[in-house]
Formats: sequence, structure tokens, C-alpha cells
Amino acid sequence: MKKREKRSSIQIRYMKYTVCLLLSAMVLCGMGVGWVVQKNQETVMMDNYNTMCENLGAAMDLLFEKTDEATADCIVYDGVQKSLRKAAMSRTQRSALSRYFAFINLDDVAEYCYVDNKKNVYTRSYSKLTYHKFRESDMERFLQGSYATTTWFWTKDTLFGTGKDALFIGRYIRNMNYEHEPGMLFLKMDPAFFQGITGDSDLAEEGILMQIMDADGEVCFQNNDSDEARKQLILAKERILATEGNGMIISRGKIGQGMLCAYRQKESGMTVSVYVPDHVLHAGIGRILFVMFLIFLLTMVLALILSVYFSRIFSRPIQKISKKMAGFHGNDYTRMEELHTKTELDQIGHSYNEMLGNIEQLVAEVKSQEKELRTVEVNMLLNQMNPHFLYNTLDTIYMLARINKEETTMRMIQALSKYLRLSLSKGEEIVSVADELENVRNYMEIQQIRNADLFRYEIHCEVDADKERMLKLVLQPLVENAIKYGFDGQSAHYRIEITVRREEEELVLTSYNSGTPISPDACEKINGLMQMSIAEMKESFKSKKNGYGLVNVLTRLRLAYEGRFSFYVIAKEDGTTFVIRIPRLVLDRV
Amino acid sequence: MNRKRNSKARRSVCILLSLCLAAVLLGGCGKKQIQQTDNEEEAVEIPMILTVSPTSGKKSEQELVDAFNITYKGKYHIAVDWIMETEDDYRQNLKRLNVTDKLPAVITDLRMLPSYYRLLVEDHRIVDLAPYIEADQEWKQMIEPVVLDSCSEEDGSVYLGPVSTAAFSCSGIFWNEELFEQAGIEEFPQTWEEFWDCCEKLQARAITPLGLHTDGTGWSAMLLATAEMADSEEGAAFMNELYPGSYQKDCIYHMADTLQKLYKYTTKDAMNADFDVAYNNFIAGKAAMLANGYWMIDQLPEEFREKVRFSPFPGNKLISSPETFGWAVVDSYSDEVKQGAVEFLKFRTKKNKKLKEDLFSQDQNTSRLLQDYIRAYRGQPQIVPNYQVKWNSVLQESTLGEALPALAQKKITQADFVRMLTESITESKKEE
Repeated sequence: MKKREKRSSIQIRYMKYTVCLLLSAMVLCGMGVGWVVQKNQETVMMDNYNTMCENLGAAMDLLFEKTDEATADCIVYDGVQKSLRKAAMSRTQRSALSRYFAFINLDDVAEYCYVDNKKNVYTRSYSKLTYHKFRESDMERFLQGSYATTTWFWTKDTLFGTGKDALFIGRYIRNMNYEHEPGMLFLKMDPAFFQGITGDSDLAEEGILMQIMDADGEVCFQNNDSDEARKQLILAKERILATEGNGMIISRGKIGQGMLCAYRQKESGMTVSVYVPDHVLHAGIGRILFVMFLIFLLTMVLALILSVYFSRIFSRPIQKISKKMAGFHGNDYTRMEELHTKTELDQIGHSYNEMLGNIEQLVAEVKSQEKELRTVEVNMLLNQMNPHFLYNTLDTIYMLARINKEETTMRMIQALSKYLRLSLSKGEEIVSVADELENVRNYMEIQQIRNADLFRYEIHCEVDADKERMLKLVLQPLVENAIKYGFDGQSAHYRIEITVRREEEELVLTSYNSGTPISPDACEKINGLMQMSIAEMKESFKSKKNGYGLVNVLTRLRLAYEGRFSFYVIAKEDGTTFVIRIPRLVLDRV
Repeated sequence: MNRKRNSKARRSVCILLSLCLAAVLLGGCGKKQIQQTDNEEEAVEIPMILTVSPTSGKKSEQELVDAFNITYKGKYHIAVDWIMETEDDYRQNLKRLNVTDKLPAVITDLRMLPSYYRLLVEDHRIVDLAPYIEADQEWKQMIEPVVLDSCSEEDGSVYLGPVSTAAFSCSGIFWNEELFEQAGIEEFPQTWEEFWDCCEKLQARAITPLGLHTDGTGWSAMLLATAEMADSEEGAAFMNELYPGSYQKDCIYHMADTLQKLYKYTTKDAMNADFDVAYNNFIAGKAAMLANGYWMIDQLPEEFREKVRFSPFPGNKLISSPETFGWAVVDSYSDEVKQGAVEFLKFRTKKNKKLKEDLFSQDQNTSRLLQDYIRAYRGQPQIVPNYQVKWNSVLQESTLGEALPALAQKKITQADFVRMLTESITESKKEE
């Protein structure tokens, strides 16, 4: 069974963030796009239905115009004009005129009635309408106030006796030449008349409510009789009745759960209105959002897959580095394989390998130093076993030499005693410059006695020796080195010069010795010590006979001043100078 | 602590960025709408129908309308529906427009349809201008008393705009000087005897003397015939009579003779033709004379105008009824439209007054034809009323159109003609 690869936590977190980001983007986009799409769709749909309402209004205008022209034709018709003259028409003429109205240029005329100014009634042949009945119907009231304009009115049919509501078109018919009583023409229109406005479009199927109502709010036509439709249309009616003007009186009006457009026909006062419920306005948005959701979902899945795929490029090497680091316990310094991701990870891997090497070296150094430290500690313990005993003994020897008046011995013992006292300095590593100079002076006194004034020495201190402090036993090994290697025994004027001075913010210690200068190889080797590790320094001067003191000084300086000092040697024809420069800041800190 | 603060700040930045993104998304999708408001007030539109001459294509009263629209820019605008039809068709159209309640705000030629005019007055279809004139002293002072008088009803109402001046309402005879010269006639005849001689001379030179027609009210022939009739005392008195009760008069018999005689001197296409035929014959040089009014001067083609002269009818007569123009304001419009229409009538009154003053003050600098007209007007002529404003509608609208061609072609006698005129009175009275 294949062991399932453990997921990188970076990868998991990366995927979490990706999912969060995508979800946020999806929600934000969903909200934003959904809102915009909804608004746009609403605007587009509203524009469409507004235009449709305008078209319905225009159709009603045309229909009115048509009725106006048809009735105008009746007015100027010779027979009609004749019927308005004072002279009565013959029965034949009246009969012909009755038939004339049956052929007027207007569709959907269910019934007609023309009454001339001599109480003659002209109707379809089967109609039994009399002038008396006409008067009883009180249809004339609808024409009052107009001179000869075409009037549409919706009323109960009291003229032809059906008692049902119907649309009537009425008009006064006036004589063109003489001032006579006018006649009246009434056309009762078939319900199909309004089909001329709506055309073949079946708005009800689309869920759109359409109605035509007269100026008093009486509904003449509506395309949906359901209770729900009625409720909506009542709201529409109230709004229409409250709105004045002609033409598009309501455009994109928000009422109830939908949008209302209404067009009022100027001459007839009839209003055609279109009510579009919200669910029609927003139809299609659900589909758009669903498709959008699907797209987002697919995008998210794809993004996740790609995230997993691409994150592996990074997570695997990281896992490798992590595993290697976690498995490091300080014993195994085996380098990891170089990475080849062409990213910064390659450098990290490489740096880790370098770091391993450095750690290995440092561990070796520490081990060596520990070993050395143990030796030193043992030596120190031995040396400090009984310093008082040593000093007392030296004092006794000094007293004996004094009694015997052995001046040289006295000097030597005195110098040795001081030297030892200062060298031990109660175990303290940092001493005043004065003590250090005193120490080196004692050392040089002893050496002068031993070497029968082989050399002269000078000490120049240009600093406040009591206040300035430094690592002890730094100058003595340099002087020891000068005595050991600088004098070849051919000259009688050897000189050692110790200088302590301040240059800018550094304490500069120099040890000059005349005589044979140091060889260039040795000079180069010593000057290269500063670039070496402590282990390397010790390695390069393995013998305790040569250079051991220098390495010892350098090691101690490094440990005390953390390498922030400089040490070099200058070889000239007249001698050799060792220089130690310690920054003031470093001195103060120690 | 710092870490917590950093993560909080990071979260705030994230939320802010998300909101910005949403805002940009939403904002980007929004449509910028620039709303423009039209602060300019619309001028009150005054609808009017005017004719375009079917022969010359000239729009009647165009200069007047343009001048008014410029003067009243932003306040009133005469919106003219230019219709190419004869004056007679225009008048019939007015009747149709009235019974269909579609009259324009300003109508013209009303006085030429006496019964129709009465109908409009009785039905309160036209505005009584008297209160407007009374209220506007400036306008009142522009109006010539004779014009106001002719436009006024007995009860003082003024339904017809007193827009004209008597000076511009006179009709006489336009004659072609070249044709007259060809016939060896140097001066326009001063008497009717000379007129008939003149016709003979012209005809002898194969020049058709008169441009006449029979349709409508036979305008050019009737002008000559009524002017000739007014030569007698009885005839002159008859012409002053409004809606005569009888045409059984010697002078009418005489007029019938005259008409028959006139049609002897006209073109063959005069029968059952309207005025345009006579006019075209005249300007084409096919007829030497044409009776018409001042307003024809402007309508004549410029190159032809040089050949044309104007003279009063023989016996120094001019036919004039200033109310003939019959401009009226329709009452069914809103007050502001009616006010604008009244302003238009006032504007025309003013313009005519100025035109008259200019014309009469610079008569030496004007064209020879205008000088002829001014001379005729100033020559103390006998003013004979226009038969169109005096005689009944039936006579004018149907009887004359039937009787004139028959009389001209001698299909009926003079007695028949007079009988037909008399019957028109009966017919007319039947409907009144």
C-alpha cells in the first residue's frame, strides 16, 4: 500500500487562503454582478415594456384617428348633409342612408345609430330603435360640451338594449353650410375592437397584465381576469387616475410588486396600461446567477487543483529542507542534495549546506578550545596552588641576597616577584595599561639580567595608563618574541621600544625591536592569522617553539574582543614592529 | 502586541480593498445619465392653413407669416399648413374642418361664404374681436373706419379681422400693354362703349380680349359684369343691397346680357374652368385683360409685370369690400392661442397700414403698375361693393357655377339666368 504523502502545512495554509480568497471574490462578484445584472435586466425589460406601452398608445391613437376619419366621412357624406337640411328626405333616401352606415370604413362596429335633426333614426334594418327609445337612452349626454369632436365612451348599452357595458363612439353631425340643429351618430363597438390595439401579442401568457380604461377609471378591457390580476390592476388604476396629462403619463412606475407604464390617449381620455410583475421583470436573472455560480464553482475547483499542483513546486523542497533541519541533531553533518527549483529555495538549500559546514568547523573549534581550556585550568590550578608561599619564598631569597649584597640577584628577584604578581593579578584578565607596562618592564628587566644587558628598552606611554584598561599579558609575548628572534648577537645596540598611544578612537600598542627584521614569509604568515579561525591559527603554528606565544596572544585577544581588533607586523630594514589596534568602544565594553 | 496590531491593520486593508473592488465593479457597470433640462419656454403655436398657388407655387402670405414669427419669436409661432389648392377648394375645406371640429386658429376668406359665416357666428365658432380692439387703442387707431365698419355686425360685434385697408382691397382691370399696342390701342377705355370697341379691336387682331372662367363664382367675369351693372343708378343701388330679396330686376337682366357678351371675348377654355385658367392665359399673353384685385400685383411674374397696366373699370369704377379677406380667429382654442391669433391680425393690420403709407408716399419710385393702381385709387373712383359679400351663398356656391357656363354658351336665356338667381334666394331661405 502506497503511503499517503503528508501535506505540507504551507500548502494547506496556501490552499485555505486560496479558498478564502476565491470565496470572497465569488461572494463579492456574485453580489456585484448579480446586482448589476438585476438592475440592467430591469432597465432593459422596463425599456422594452415602456416602448410596448408607447406602441399600444400609438395604436390607440391610430384607432382613434381611424374612428375620427370614419365619422368625419359620415359627416361630409351628401346623404348625411341632406338629412340635416330643413327639407325632409324621402323614405327611399332615408333607407339608403340607413344602409350607408353599415358600410363605413371602420371594423368591429356592432351597431350604429344616427339621429338626424328631424327625429329620424337610422340603424341596421333589423333594429327596432325608435327616436323615443333613443331619447330614453340619454346617450346625447356623452356628446354635450363638444361641437363635433369624436367621443369615445364606455357605458351600459341602454341604446340597443343589451344592458352590457360597451364602447360607444359618438359625434355630433352638423350641417356644413347652415346653422341647423345637429344630428348625432353613435357607433357601438364590438369587444374585438380593442384587439386593434393589442394586436396578436398574447401578453397574458407572458404574465403581463394589460388594461384599457376610460377617463373615469372604468375598465374597458383587460387581458387577465384572475383575482391576483385584479388586485394588481386596482393599484394600477388608482395610480393612473391620480396622474394627469396625456401621452406616456406613467413610465416605469413602481407599484406593488411590479412596474406600471400607462399611456393616455389625448382625445378619448382612454388609458392603456401595462403592468409587469417583478417576477417577469427578473425572469432570467436566476439562470444568469446559476450559470455564474457554476462558472465560479468550476473556477474554484480548477484554482484549487492548480494551487495544489503549483504549490508542490515550492512545498516539496521546503518539506525537504524542513525534514533535513528537523533531523539534525548535531552529529551528522551530511549535506543535503542541492535544490533545483530555480527559486530562492535553491539558495536556502545551498546556504543550509554551508551553514552545516560552518557548524561542523565551529563544533571542532569549541571542542579543541574546551580541551585547551581544561589544560589551562589544570595549569592555573597548579600555578595558583600556593602563590603566597611562592611570594614569601621569593621575599626570603631577596632578603638573603640583600644580606649578601648581591645586587643583581636582588633586582632579578624583585622583578620576578612583580612580574608574577602582575601575571596572576588575582585571576583578573583585564588590567590597567600601567600594570601591563609594569609587567613588561619587569619581564624586560629579568631578560636584561639574564642576557647581560644585551638590549636596551624604552617604554612610551602617551595615554592615561592608570585609567586605560586592556587585556593582560599582551605585550610580554611580543617582547619575548623580539628577544628570541630579533637579536642575532652581532650588534651591541639592540633596542626594544614599547609604545602605547591613542590614534583617533583606537588604542594602539606597538612593539618595535631593532635587529634582523622578520622574514617576508613569516611576516606574511603572521599577517594572515587574522583571517584564520582560531583552530586554523593553532594548526598553522603547531610547534610550541615557534609562534606559539603570538597565537596565544591572538587567541586571547579574539576571545576577549570578539575579533574586533587588528594585529599585524611591519618588517623594515632596521627592525620589526608588531602593532595591535583595539577600538575604544571595544575596550570600554569589556 | 505589535503582531496583533499588524494583523488587524492587514485585515482592515483587505476589507477596504474588497469594498473598493466591489465599488469599482458596481460603479463600472453603472450607466452615466446626463439629464438635460430644456429651460426654453416653447412658443405658443397658432395653427393656420394657407394656400400654395397651383400655378406659380407661391405661398400666400408667406412674408407676413415669416415676419410675424421673427417678431414674436419665442412667444408666438404661426404654424402654417401649406396646402396646394384653389381658393374655392380652400373655402370648401373650411366647411369640412368646421364640422369635424378641426378648424385652424386663424381662418381667411370667410366673408365670401355668407351662410357659412353666419353659421360660424351663430355657433360661436369665431371670436368677437370687438373687446380686443377696444382694449387695444394702438390697434384701434391703425384700423381705417371704413374697414372697421365693413367688418362690424349690426350689434357692434366684430368677427372679421379689420386687417386690410380700403386701398388694398380694390379690384379693377389688369391689361397687357403690348397686346393693346399690337391692336393699335393707346389708352385703356374710359367708358363701356369704348371697352366693347377695344374688345372688338383686339379680337380683330386675333387677340383674345378677356381672361375669364366660370367655376367658383365666376370672379373675373362677375367683376366686369357687376361693375358694368353699377354704371346705372339701379345697378349701383342693387350692388349696395345686402342679400337682395329678388333678382328680378332690369339691372340683373342687363348683367346677364353683359355676361353673355363678355364670354364672347374670352378663351375657349374658360368654360367650367376656375380662376387659375384665366390667370394663366393672361400671364401667358393669351388674353389681353383680366379683372382682379390689388393683391395680384405681387403674384405676377416679374418679367411679365413690366408689360401689365392697371385701370379702373370703365366709368372709373373699382370694386372693393375690405371685409372680403374675411380673417377670423376660431373660438375653440385656448385663450393664449386666441390671444396670439389676435396679435397676428393686429400685426397684419399694422403691416398693411405701413405698406399703404410707404406706397402712397413713394408712388413715383414704385413700379408703373403700382403707380397705375395708386392713380386709380386716388382718381376718386366709384366704389362698387363686391358681390361676394352681398349675395347669398347658394347663388355663389352653386347657382353661378351652373348658370354662367350655360349662359355663356347660350344654353339658357338671360331670363333663365335671372330665374336661377332668384331660385337661389328661395333655396337659401329654405335653409336659413
